[in-house]
Amino acid sequence: MNGLSYQTQKRIILLCFMSVPLALLALFTFYPAVKLVWMSFTDWDGLEANPTWIGFANFVEVFTNRDLFGVFLNQIPYAVVGIAQNAIAIVFAVILNSKLRGRNGFRVLMFLPFIMNAVAVAFMFQYVFDTTNGSLNILLGAIGLDGLARTSWLGNTSLVNFSLASISMWRFLGYNMVIYLGALQSIPADMYEAAEIDGAGRWQKLARLTLPNLTKIIQLNMFLTLSGALAVFDLPFVLTKGGPAGASETFLFKTINTAFQFNNFGLASAMSVVLLLIVVVVLSLQNLVIGRGGKDA
Amino acid sequence: MKKGLTLAAAIATLSMIATACGGNDNNNGHASPSAAASPSASASASATASAAASPSADPAADISGTITFLTNRTDMVDKEYVDYAKRFNEKYPNAKVEFEAITDLDKNTKVRLSSGEYPDVLLIPTIPNSDLPKYFAPLDDLGLNDKIYFSDYKASDGKLYGISAGATTTGIVYNKKAFADAGITSIPKTLDEFYAAAEKLKQKGIVPLASNFKDQWPLYPWASEVPISISGDKNLNNDRINSDAPYAMDNPYGQGLTIVRTMYEKGYLEPDVNSTNWEQSKKDIASGKFGMYMLGNWVIPQVVSSGTTSDNVGFFPLPYDNSGKTNVLLAPDWAYGVNKDSKHLETAKAFVKWMLEDSGFDDFAGFIPVLKDKQANMAQLTEFQSYGPTTIEAAADSEESTAIVNKAQIVKEAMVQEFVLAKDPQKVIDAYNKKWAAAKKALAK
Repeated sequence: MNGLSYQTQKRIILLCFMSVPLALLALFTFYPAVKLVWMSFTDWDGLEANPTWIGFANFVEVFTNRDLFGVFLNQIPYAVVGIAQNAIAIVFAVILNSKLRGRNGFRVLMFLPFIMNAVAVAFMFQYVFDTTNGSLNILLGAIGLDGLARTSWLGNTSLVNFSLASISMWRFLGYNMVIYLGALQSIPADMYEAAEIDGAGRWQKLARLTLPNLTKIIQLNMFLTLSGALAVFDLPFVLTKGGPAGASETFLFKTINTAFQFNNFGLASAMSVVLLLIVVVVLSLQNLVIGRGGKDA
Repeated sequence: MKKGLTLAAAIATLSMIATACGGNDNNNGHASPSAAASPSASASASATASAAASPSADPAADISGTITFLTNRTDMVDKEYVDYAKRFNEKYPNAKVEFEAITDLDKNTKVRLSSGEYPDVLLIPTIPNSDLPKYFAPLDDLGLNDKIYFSDYKASDGKLYGISAGATTTGIVYNKKAFADAGITSIPKTLDEFYAAAEKLKQKGIVPLASNFKDQWPLYPWASEVPISISGDKNLNNDRINSDAPYAMDNPYGQGLTIVRTMYEKGYLEPDVNSTNWEQSKKDIASGKFGMYMLGNWVIPQVVSSGTTSDNVGFFPLPYDNSGKTNVLLAPDWAYGVNKDSKHLETAKAFVKWMLEDSGFDDFAGFIPVLKDKQANMAQLTEFQSYGPTTIEAAADSEESTAIVNKAQIVKEAMVQEFVLAKDPQKVIDAYNKKWAAAKKALAK
């Protein structure tokens, strides 16, 4: 390496160091993504060596088959509960940001569910929501709500998605809260002092100072929540298997079944691509709405 | 740079291995403590059979070399397989067998088949029967074709490529004490008696039939085994391809589904069918809180090991009508296949034969022996046979019907769920017929 200039040596070293992560990135992120898009235009069955190119037929199928696209209706409860979850997370963040005895302990308690394994959580809630022996119904019975204590939380077609969404709320509330907490702590204290001097009350400080400062973070959290709501899979997979009678099937659930149960990898790839596009569309809409709201305030 | 690529390649390989593992096969670990394999008994039972079938005067002479058997029974390595290897070597002194056990048999075996590197004897994965000759050697010269069940299940062009390790059947698994407590003195032989027995169990506070409705998969008998038994036609599922409306209230599918719907309407299933728990149900059957299962005999060892004794668990054919006669479906387990490029082809074939005739594996695993004249050792299977059901051998799913099912995305267990829960079951039938017809039309193009 003696004959090389410092510049060249630097480049070679840089290239060497970069090549490993770039190769990994290309191999495990870009190549599968490109392959997925390519597969979505074929009728690959998972074994066939030379799948046929069938153009947009898979995409037509995704949008015209009610059985496939209609399941997005089942995911509306997740989005609704997700919005509530963010509101509650802000409330908790504000509370736990004040001088409260034992607030670190509460923060840990709130955050703990997020650390737990998703499948373990789902499995655990099987025992909570069980109709005859579940802890929830036993609790309801113990406090005298006998009418409610026989509810089939996972068996009622109009309830099941809310039951499932409440589990994901339990799980992600603390995570959202921690992000809000971080944002709250980055709001300069002198702004609050100035507001107090101007005679702002608690509520005014929250509405006029805290929330506008949180806009960017609310946007981020809503991004996480909505993309999560669009891609729910683990909870219905473990708890209900999409039942009762398909009421808790989600789009991702359908995608996985299409690929691995019905051996239609082409259609499943098209469904994944469509899901990706929908996430992009929903998030741009959301940015438009929240972004504008922020400017008006 | 080069190092980076090597590393990337290494990681790629590792991740492939990692993804190929995981999951476990359904047929794993149904070891039955009750079916204490008595090798001497089964060996003597089949000694006549093997003697008659031996083509040459001294068969042991050509049987030599070391072969490998790829198996899914990881639980038997270093235990029963040590004994198997020893006994095989005693019968064929020049030959040795080694066992390689893997999990997720189906996927892993497919990968090995496509790589061309696979052992001498293996369990045939789920590949189309037309592909069998590409990988496996015909087994017709073992002379077993007329003596075994499922001689056309893994066959192509009239040649036999795989012999099932054992057979399973489907019926009512019940807790004998629960039946006695409820005052059921004789096993129901007709559908009315069956409902009456369920009523008695219900009166006693016992859940009559554990459907495991929520878990979906345990409902499979109602959509496949029961309709086939009712029709008496093993090709019932495959013949659907000839119809645009294969389902109807009054055909075997509708009849089978109506039985489970009736059980639901009369409250003979779990109190809330949408909140059931498979693992718990085994314990509840064992303890007598639940009375019956409608499942395969593979579940019996699992119930026994969930907290009861084998003599408390019984097994009888589901009486699906009032005729007093029943058909039952025999379904095959994994089939032994022999690598067509094996260096010791004869040894490999001899091993397959030995596994079927002499090893005692079918008794150990709680299977019905695939050799027709061999008796099952499991007490429950003996009881089952004592009711004299007519057996129907399962037929392999045809590629055409599988294609339509996949295209229409029909999950047969989900159909059972919808049929049971629907206000008007006819609508469910209509919806599935519509799906079927649409998929059939789309594929016919």
